[in-house]
Amino acid sequence: MLMNHDATWTYDAYIASDSKIANQTVLMIIENMQRIGWGEGELFGVHMALEEAIVNAIKHGNQEDPEKKVHVVVNSTLQEFYLKVTDEGDGFDPDAVPDPTLDENLELGSGRGLMLMRHYMDHVVYNDRGNSLEVTKHRTES
Amino acid sequence: MPDYSCIKLSNKDDVAVVQLVDDKVMDAERIAVLGEELMTLANRDDGKRMLINMDNVRFLSSSAINKLIVLERRLADAGGDLKLSNLSPEVEEVFNITQLHSVFDIRDDEADALSAFKD
Repeated sequence: MLMNHDATWTYDAYIASDSKIANQTVLMIIENMQRIGWGEGELFGVHMALEEAIVNAIKHGNQEDPEKKVHVVVNSTLQEFYLKVTDEGDGFDPDAVPDPTLDENLELGSGRGLMLMRHYMDHVVYNDRGNSLEVTKHRTES
Repeated sequence: MPDYSCIKLSNKDDVAVVQLVDDKVMDAERIAVLGEELMTLANRDDGKRMLINMDNVRFLSSSAINKLIVLERRLADAGGDLKLSNLSPEVEEVFNITQLHSVFDIRDDEADALSAFKD
């Protein structure tokens, strides 16, 4: 395994609003994170953030419109993971998402992904329009 | 018996024991099929007491979790019972983070879960 502390991996692509392509993209990013030295324990949270961010962009942002793309940017070193996901939708207010832990919201299917991202990532920030998300995570495994 | 593509089904002690085929439950289309198959099973007389053994599940997304929540609710409404077992520490943490450990009856292993159906 490559354990070069200067190792950097970057990715910048516009992907189609297609769940299969989203899956392939997520797994490809995870593989490259492993390649530069990230361990399985921390990659679970990275995987979760990638999955939820990209799926939300396709499903809620682009409404699964095949004409619309999702812009995915990853800049990862052995110390830090950075992800930016931007969709072509109208955006949303992350503070207005229903609390998924309340009994009446349990089946809604929204809010839980954001909750998981906030848990696993150190920073989760949306732009003002709410169609672009940046997350970062500092690696803690030695 | 219907053909299932996302679940493997067996019957133990009059409990429908389900294993998920995918180790990474993250594909939107597969999750939709998984939800349909679980609901099909829940609507059968022999699917009302259901155990999902998650032994081989290494990752599941919030969309997959939502299918399990809907299943749990439908089974409870129908007087059935759903239990989960054999969660990896990472998957169990997902349930803890989302405060779903109080919604689901989560057991350490299959034997523990099967015995809890007899209580």
